[in-house]
Amino acid sequence: MSLQGWVPEPGDSLTLAEVIDLAFDYRGNTTIVRVDGTEVEGYIFNRDRDVPEPFIQMFDLAGNGPFTIRYSEIRNVKFTGRDMAADNSWTAWLEAKGKGAADGRHGKEPE
Amino acid sequence: MSVPLLQMWAVASYVIKQKVRGRTRYPLVLMLEPLFRCNLACAGCGKIQYPPQILRKHLSVEECLRAVDECGAPVVSIPGGEPLLYPEIGRLVDALVARKKYVYLCTNGLLLKEKLEQGVFKPSRYLSFSIHMDGLREEHDAAVCRDGVYDKAVEAIWDAVRRGFRVTTNTTLFDGASPLRVREFFDEMVNLGVEGMMISPGYSYSKAPDQEHFLRRSKTQHLFSAILSGPKKRWKFNQSPLFLQFLMGKRDYECTPWGNPTFNIFGWQRPCYLLQDGYAESFRELMENTRWQDYGRRSGNAKCQDCMVHCGFEPTAVNETFGSWKGFRDTVLATLTGKL
Repeated sequence: MSLQGWVPEPGDSLTLAEVIDLAFDYRGNTTIVRVDGTEVEGYIFNRDRDVPEPFIQMFDLAGNGPFTIRYSEIRNVKFTGRDMAADNSWTAWLEAKGKGAADGRHGKEPE
Repeated sequence: MSVPLLQMWAVASYVIKQKVRGRTRYPLVLMLEPLFRCNLACAGCGKIQYPPQILRKHLSVEECLRAVDECGAPVVSIPGGEPLLYPEIGRLVDALVARKKYVYLCTNGLLLKEKLEQGVFKPSRYLSFSIHMDGLREEHDAAVCRDGVYDKAVEAIWDAVRRGFRVTTNTTLFDGASPLRVREFFDEMVNLGVEGMMISPGYSYSKAPDQEHFLRRSKTQHLFSAILSGPKKRWKFNQSPLFLQFLMGKRDYECTPWGNPTFNIFGWQRPCYLLQDGYAESFRELMENTRWQDYGRRSGNAKCQDCMVHCGFEPTAVNETFGSWKGFRDTVLATLTGKL
């Protein structure tokens, strides 16, 4: 299941650190909502929560960066960009080839 | 083994030097990814799923060379993405060869013939094209989700061999692979004149399009036993025989995740080429500040349980070869007799 389009609500049941972990694992752009209300959109490629001042690193939509933002500056992360891992070439291949391709791909011997 | 003697000696003397210096963690092969962009979207690949602004980026040659110098590994592998899409690939390879690094340029082969015709590369004992081949025509084209790729890659291999380049193949196997077909594939590759072959089970990337066909550990051992039992003398593998025995279930190894460190546009990838748990800014930071105890099978990390991929276990095999008389003896025996 893709997180594309998800706007989490960090709180007691889902902490901001957990949302950031999910965003770090997400293969699409996200929108960082800062505590001052400003937003920045881009790709989060790094996060470190095991340091005195946990931070994320990201490239913006133009590819500029890396920008470092501390957790303490972040209010929320929205999953606004397309999930690139959901762009399924394998499914397309199967559809194009017919269902038999799933086994044929790996050279399965006939039963 | 089909690794040329000079290369074998370069690696052996490097490993012995590290051991004499008392280093327990040292890199063997730098995985240098100058870009993530690729001209294929393979079913088992979890590497290229990035937004457009990331796929457009690439490292400069200078950034690549800084990483190479910082790391110090004797072998540099250039995977990707597709390295032949890197606009400065010729200059990068020339600079690495000048540094006497053994370079494995990992390519799907689609652009190789064109680049050779353009004179982008010069044959060198330091340069080897490692062509991605996941089996015979039917299996390979399905693995890369495009018809015609196998034929194009075969043509590129012929051309590169004819021009005097070192050529190896790199094969990833998945659940459902037919041992018989894989053995036929080895024959075909030998007929093409490749110097050696590399084989590995695929790593179960959570982002890979096809999630159904990743091999679990016991299935891996079963499959590789069937493929490699009674290996033909003419098959040459560009790998440690101890690693191949590990794949067959004859050895129980733990992963050496720092053996093949990865550098790409995000920095030094923690902990390894396959797992992405964050990035370090320098090689030193990677080696010193990564929680290595969190990785490998014994750590209990779920992402490591079924992994038997060469980048984590080949360094373990090499370490055993040069770390114990038994390991050295077994390697020599397997190399001389061809028995696994």
